[in-house]
Amino acid sequence: MRLPDQVTGLFLVGLGAAAAYGGWLLPPVPGQPVGPNIFPLVIGSGLALCGIAITFGIGHTFEEEEEIIPLEGGQVRPPTGKLYGLRALLPPALLLFYVVAADRLGFIITAGLIVYATSTALGARWKLSLPLAVLAPMGIHLIFSKLLRVPLPAGLLSMPW
Amino acid sequence: MLKTLIEAFALISTWEVIIAMLAASVYGLVIGSLPGLSATMATALLVPVTFYLSPIAAIATIVAASTMAIFSGDIPGALLRIPGTPASAAYADEAYAMTRKGEAELALGAGVWFSAIGGIAGTLSLMILAPPLAEIALSFSTFEYFWLAFLGLMCATLVARSSPVKAIAGMFIGLLVSCVGIENPGGVPRFTFGITDLFGGIEPIPALVGVFAVAQVMRAMLTPEPPPIPKRKFGSIMAGQWKLTKKYHWQMTRGNIIGVIIGVLPGAGADMAAWVSYAMSKRFSKEPEKFGTGHVEGLVEAGASNNASIASGWVPSLLFGIPGDTIAAIAIGVLYMKGLNPGPTLFTEKASSMYAIYLMFIIANIIMIPLGIIMIRLASHVLRAPRSSIMPVIMLCCAVGSFAIGNNMFGVVTVAAFGIIGYVMEANGYPVAAMVLGIVMGTMIEQSFVTSLIKSDGSVLPFFERPISAILAAMAIGALIWPVLVWLWQRLKAASPATSPR
Repeated sequence: MRLPDQVTGLFLVGLGAAAAYGGWLLPPVPGQPVGPNIFPLVIGSGLALCGIAITFGIGHTFEEEEEIIPLEGGQVRPPTGKLYGLRALLPPALLLFYVVAADRLGFIITAGLIVYATSTALGARWKLSLPLAVLAPMGIHLIFSKLLRVPLPAGLLSMPW
Repeated sequence: MLKTLIEAFALISTWEVIIAMLAASVYGLVIGSLPGLSATMATALLVPVTFYLSPIAAIATIVAASTMAIFSGDIPGALLRIPGTPASAAYADEAYAMTRKGEAELALGAGVWFSAIGGIAGTLSLMILAPPLAEIALSFSTFEYFWLAFLGLMCATLVARSSPVKAIAGMFIGLLVSCVGIENPGGVPRFTFGITDLFGGIEPIPALVGVFAVAQVMRAMLTPEPPPIPKRKFGSIMAGQWKLTKKYHWQMTRGNIIGVIIGVLPGAGADMAAWVSYAMSKRFSKEPEKFGTGHVEGLVEAGASNNASIASGWVPSLLFGIPGDTIAAIAIGVLYMKGLNPGPTLFTEKASSMYAIYLMFIIANIIMIPLGIIMIRLASHVLRAPRSSIMPVIMLCCAVGSFAIGNNMFGVVTVAAFGIIGYVMEANGYPVAAMVLGIVMGTMIEQSFVTSLIKSDGSVLPFFERPISAILAAMAIGALIWPVLVWLWQRLKAASPATSPR
């Protein structure tokens, strides 16, 4: 996901300009010189300036290349492909799945699916991920629902406690 | 004074506080020792739980968990050469070299012992520094608060181990996030795009959980699993520590002082303290050639330093609501929730609560020694737990915890969104800590800025007229110009010889 500095820089210019313009449109407090408009205006302009600087590579020399500590004993290199990078999007996707599904399916089932998917994606075999998908949601439910009284959705499967 | 101290003792000697503290200690030790799970993340995931505790117990969990996690990051650093938290990264190589020389006990023992001493030194600095600063801060007006907050944000960008321009950009992104909602000087919906859930603004805590926890799970998806730890028997862990203390007492003191200073600076936390102290130790050592070959001196200084920064990071947090580091940023959120709003009056009106915080820090650092020794002995078992069994549980805690903050599914969406933002920023060299500070301090800096502008009738001049305000302004503007000067100097240096270093 390492993008060229020009891409992120230009994105920041756009974001900053949009924020400044959005701030500009807000009405000031009646009778006062300033209001809710001034802060976004300042920040947006600053962000756009930073974006320009980044686009032109200013400050790049300060960046330290991340040191990767070589592992001993010849680790398996991860496969590198275009689709491999998309795996990183799995955790946020699963969280959104929770938002959509939790009320209908209930906490235990949704959480079980999330645990199973995450665990499998990190290379666990079913012998580990399946029991984990059953036990972890129950444990979390016990702590949050019973002890801390968070109203977790019951859905299709409710817990005896 | 004595009466307040007794009151403070009464506050912390309840079963709730004791159990919360012990549980949080164990939790902090385990999370801190697992590679990839940082102390900040441990603290962020703890917040939903603190909702249901009394104020003192809530702070106790944060104090205990963060203190323990910073120490226990040393354990996998020494045994696997993989730091458990970024704060241990500075000397992981050194500690591992000691383990290979057969001195694992000495390395880990130094970790526990000098961490505890560092933590206590940090607490003493908190006790000594905070009350007189509170006296001065009572006379601060919005102008001073504005410059102070601005200075805090600038410090955060200066110390980032990345491009200062990118750090400033990250800070602006955080400030922009804090703009969302109707909590602004005009009370109008700002950047809400008609979404009702955004009217209340973006909660800092789900944003922090997203940036520190979800982004970490995302990174884990793409990196190989760390190797399992080899089984080993440990000899006596505390043997020889007293000798080290006497031999390296000057290094230890210097580490403590550096840690305290870096902790007080906004935005710079334990990891920065460890890097600086390790470098200092090497620079001033009588035997610098031994560094990197398993020499304990750097470990003593850096270990004393990173734990000292944890407690002193609370100084600006408690006084001004300006977080000393990312852990303190989370602590501020909890303080607000519990009605202990940061500010100089906290030290006069809620003095017993403040003393309770000091006491908890001291107790946490003392019980760290026995608990840490147990943890070191159990480490080979805990570190055998595969990542594929820990990350799913972290995911569930993210989902449930962010939901619990407002009993609102929108919190979960926030966590997911900030997971992506944090991941993309980190991958492209934008320091997320700067953004986090922006989010936490945004409302405060806007309020002091706009109130000051209204008071001055739109003129900028009064920002520089009051004496303290002028000093703070000079420091803040200096911090802003500094990277530009360094950059220009580098340019000039690179221009004179024909070959530039890049």
